[in-house]
This record gives sequence, C-alpha cells and structure tokens, in this order.
Amino acid sequence: MFVQILFYAFSAILLAAALGVIASRNPVHSALSLVLAFFTSAALWLLIEVEFLAIVLVLVYVGAVMVLFLFVVMMLDVNIERVRGGFIRHAGLGLVVASLVAAQMIGVFWARNLGVDATLGAPPLPDDYSNTRALGEVLYTQYVYPFELAAVLLLVAIVAAITLTLRQRPGLKPQDVAKQVAVRREDRVRLVTGVDAAGTGPGADRDASPRGGEGA
Amino acid sequence: MLSQYLPALIFLGVASGLAAVLLLLGTGLGRWLARAPDDAEKRSSYECGFEAFEETRMKFDVRYYLVAILFIVFDLEIAFLFPWAVALDSIGGFGLISMGIFLGILVVGFIYEWKKGALEWD
Amino acid sequence: MTAILDLWAALPDVVRSTAWILIVTVAVILSVAFTTLWERKVIGWMQLRKGPNRVGSIFGLLPGIFQPFADVIKLLLKEVVLPSAANKWLFRVAPAITLIPAFAAWAVMPLDPALVIADIDAGLLYVLSLTSVGVYGIILAGWATNSKYAFLGAMRSAAQIVAYEIAMGFALVGVVMAAGTLNLGDIVRAQEGGVSSWFFLWLFPLFVVYLIAGVAETNRAPFDVAEGESEIVAGFHVEYSGIAFALFFLAEYANMILISALTAVFFLGGWLSPFEGVLAADNALAQPGFHWLFLKLFFFLTCFMWYRATFPRYRYDQIMRLGWKVLIPVTLVWIAVAAVMVHFRVGPWSAN
Repeated sequence: MFVQILFYAFSAILLAAALGVIASRNPVHSALSLVLAFFTSAALWLLIEVEFLAIVLVLVYVGAVMVLFLFVVMMLDVNIERVRGGFIRHAGLGLVVASLVAAQMIGVFWARNLGVDATLGAPPLPDDYSNTRALGEVLYTQYVYPFELAAVLLLVAIVAAITLTLRQRPGLKPQDVAKQVAVRREDRVRLVTGVDAAGTGPGADRDASPRGGEGA
Repeated sequence: MLSQYLPALIFLGVASGLAAVLLLLGTGLGRWLARAPDDAEKRSSYECGFEAFEETRMKFDVRYYLVAILFIVFDLEIAFLFPWAVALDSIGGFGLISMGIFLGILVVGFIYEWKKGALEWD
Repeated sequence: MTAILDLWAALPDVVRSTAWILIVTVAVILSVAFTTLWERKVIGWMQLRKGPNRVGSIFGLLPGIFQPFADVIKLLLKEVVLPSAANKWLFRVAPAITLIPAFAAWAVMPLDPALVIADIDAGLLYVLSLTSVGVYGIILAGWATNSKYAFLGAMRSAAQIVAYEIAMGFALVGVVMAAGTLNLGDIVRAQEGGVSSWFFLWLFPLFVVYLIAGVAETNRAPFDVAEGESEIVAGFHVEYSGIAFALFFLAEYANMILISALTAVFFLGGWLSPFEGVLAADNALAQPGFHWLFLKLFFFLTCFMWYRATFPRYRYDQIMRLGWKVLIPVTLVWIAVAAVMVHFRVGPWSAN
C-alpha cells in the first residue's frame, strides 16, 4: 500500500518534470527538470529493487551527464527566440517522431497485455541478497563480450571527444615540471668576466650577475 | 532491502526541510531588519567600481566541455568497477582477466588523451 | 531508565530512525558551529595568535566558546541581497542544493557497531552519488548570480570537483575490493583484527589519494581556487549575503566533517578500537564504539585546518595536473596491485 502511494507520487513528479523539460523557456530550467526526472526515475527503479542501477543512474546521469549538459547550456549563448521561431517549420517532423515513439510504447504495453502490474513491486528476495553482487557475478563472466564492447565504446568516445574539441592555442608557454627539475647550472648561469683589463672591476670573480637567469 | 531506503528518504526530507526553514527564516528576518535603502546600486552586480562591460554569460573555453566528457567516460568506468570489486572473490581468475582487458583498453584511451595534450591546462 | 529503554524499543522503526535522523542533523549542525571555532583557534595557534577569545566563557575557561552562536545570529539577521541581474529562483535554491547532500549522506554512516540509520546494501554508492550532486549547487549559484566572478568560480570549481571525483571513485574501488562489499558497516567489519588490518596500510597509496581528493572535493585550501579571494573575490558566492551565504558555509563544513568520517570508515576502521588485539578483549579501551570514530574524525578534521595553515594555494593548472596526471595513474596502478593481492589472498582479507 505504502509502496503504491510512493509509486504514484514519484510517477507524478516524473511526469511533471518531464513536462517541465520541454515546456520551460529557459534551457537551464529544462536541464534541471531533467535532473529531477532522473532522480524520480531512480526512485522508481528502487521500488522494483534494482538497487545498483538506480544509484548508478543518479551517479552517472545526474552526477556526470547532466553536468555536461549544464556546461553546454550555460556556455553556449543559445538564442532562444530564434530556436522558438523554428517551431512551426519542424512541427510536422516532430509529430511523426512523437507518433512513432507513442506507437512503440503502446506496443510494449500491448505485448505484455497489461499482465504485469508494476505497482505491486518485485517478488520478495532473500535477506542476504545483494543486487550489486548478483550483477557482478554475471557481468564479467557470462556477459563478458558486451562488457568488453562497452570498453571499446568508451575508448571511441574518448577519441571522438578529443578530435572534436581539442584545439591548441598558439603562443602559450605551459609549465613543464620535468624540464624545470632537470635544469642544470650551466643552462641558467653565465660566467661574466671582469669589465676592465686589470680584472678588478665590478663583476670580476663572480659566478653570475644577479640577472644571469634571464640571460640563459 | 527496500525498507532500508525509507530512512534515507526521510533524511533527504529532513535535510531539505532544514535548508528551507533556514532560508525562509533568514530571508524574512533580514528583510524585516534591513536598514539600508533598497536601491539599484545595491542590487547591481559586483564589479571593481565600474559598470560591467559585457554580458556575464560569455562563450567559454571548450576545454571545460572536454573535461566534462572525459569525466563521463571515467565515471562509467568506475560504475563498471564497483560490481566487479564486490564480486571479485567469486568470479575468480576469469573475472580478473576480463576486467584487466577492460581497463587495458581504457588505459589506451587515457594514454591517448595524455599524449594529445587534452589534460594540459594553460 | 529501563522503562524508557523499553518504550524506545517498542516504538516503530520509522519513529526510531526519524528520531536518530533529527539527533544526527542537530549534532552535525553543532559540530559545524564548533568546527568553525576550532579552525580559527587552531590556525590562530599555528600563527602565534590567540584566535577568538572575546565572546563568552564558562567560568573563565574556554574563552570564545560562544563565538559560533554570535556568528550564526549575526548571519541570520543580515539582509539577503538579491542582485537585480540574478535568476531569482535559482539564486535562492542553489544554497539549499549544496546543503542537502552534505547532510543526507549521513544516513548510511556506521556510527556505532549497532547504529546505522539506513543500513542499505549499496551504501558507498549512495554516498558517492549524493556527493556528486553537491556540485550542482555551486554551478547553479555561479550561473544564477549573473556575475563574472561567480561564473568563473563556478566553472573552476566544477571542473576541479569533476577531476577529483574520478580519483576518489577509483580509490574507493580499492576499498570495495578489499572489503568485498559496498555496505559501510560491513566495510568497517572487514577491517576487524587490530591496526594491522586497517585498510590504510594495505591501500596506502589509495588512502593518500583519497585524503587529497577529499580536500579538493570540498574546495578547501590549498585547492580553493573556486573562492580564490585574491583573484575572483569569492568565486561562486560573491553576491551571497546573510543566511544564503551561511548555507554555503554550513555545507562546506558539513562536507569536511563527512569526508573526515568517511576517511575514518574506509581506511581507519571506523568505530573499531586501535587497541583491539593488543589489550585484553574485556578491557574498556579495546571495545569498539562511537568514540573511536569520533576521535579519528576529529583527527582528519584538524588535518583540514593544518593544510589550510600550511600550504599556499595551488595554481589552477597545477590542480588539474595533480588530479588527472598523478592521482588517477596512482589509483589505477594500485587497483591492479590490490586485485592481484585479493585474488591470491595476500593481506588481511585472506580470511574471506
């Protein structure tokens, strides 16, 4: 009963947040609505006892992906007026996509023939059941091939991100610690001989002038 | 298992309540006791004694964007590592090797970004 | 007394855990208050000053003991100025978003052998995901303020927290490998058997990485470029005043206490006694309990102040280099070492 109340409460928040994502005029507000939507989805997942995935949803999507979204939304000064101007033009395409998604979702429910009542909760699990351990026991043995594919996918993501965004600005003088540590006396200090022939002038018998470091 | 999350949910609620109460109380008291007139200068953005020259929300170095993407990749890696670490004693040498390959592939990526200078800040 | 205990035991679980939640919340708030005083005192002593000693004393002892209360009352009474350029709603919500995770993470903390408010299986992940939410408050505060200093501070802070969160996550993977569980109470129990089986010995590189990452995650000196008062005035909270500022302050100190407690739990055996196995088992000093956790926590908390009094602020590119190029490789190498150790049953975890 209590679980059911929680389910409907979280579902209502999730729907409201999802609506907020598309209805909000401010892109930052949209991104934050999406954060709320992820949170409530995680709560819904917890209700069906998929503990690990629920928390990882928060950890990865809220803690990492949405930070990227916020960075992008905050840094690019998107002209909202211009984006809104395209609404009518793209409305047809949008409708097609929306009806496709709707058809798919109806298909999913139809296939199950509404037999599974999600609000009833998962079947009871033994007391010492650990969702994370259960996942770990199959992911790295039984499903090792998709697991390694995930690594390749992540590698592609790293390479793609770097090739797309990395720009070297010319004229920079970055600090190179190894170079600084490896510097020798001869590189920096110049022996300055006396200024007069007798060798008694200022600068004679000195290893270096005070500004010797800059001469090197 | 599920019932153990209830106290965590209550704690989230208590913490939110604490923040809300403190904010409302402080804002209310502060407004009530405010002595300084509420003028445009007081409410203007902080600058070193002059009007701001341009918009605050400027274009930013793309490097921050790159860092955020790399963070997602590594965060996913960590998410993959946790179930493995928990189940390490029961998946044996096979699990050890499969994670070795996984990390090996990603270390290649790490070396790539290092050599490319993506971790360089200047 | 027994009547009260019976009544307590007869209460429903929800009521009991709610009572504990309120107790922990109040305790954390009070600890934050006295941490601010302790910090000013410690740094004062390190700089041959007295620190605050004017506000109140108890029969002539502990001068300055009521300083935190004076500060709190003053901050409560100050006006919260709302900049006209700011995003009104987010400007007000941002401090709350930083504060909530700093408190809610205490739910899974093993305070005592018999006391965890929410004894959830994936406790470590819960803490990690909650602390990763804390960065939102800073980003939003910087953006909503609509001031350049605030925005710069927020961006710096976000990129820094993000870099050190990876190092922190990798370090915790090592802890999980050694303990074989994500439950914080079981992690403590996995370190039973005296100081020699505490994880800081076996995972020493990860312990050091976690300590450093903890300081960077909380934006404390020497990694406090997000505030950087000498360059960007106060960073993300430059326009915040009164209670809104106080919430950021409260969150920062609550996070410090949280990180100290977590370090104790992950690497120093939480509530376990350091004399376990050295003294006789019935000796009072060998008993586990909250006091040991408190002492360890207090030690790490004082270290935070020590760092602040000792180290000059890192430059931003140095911070990023340390995070990405030193800490992450160190953790990766030690995860491999620890994996081999666990697999071949070397070390204190050979029993399981």
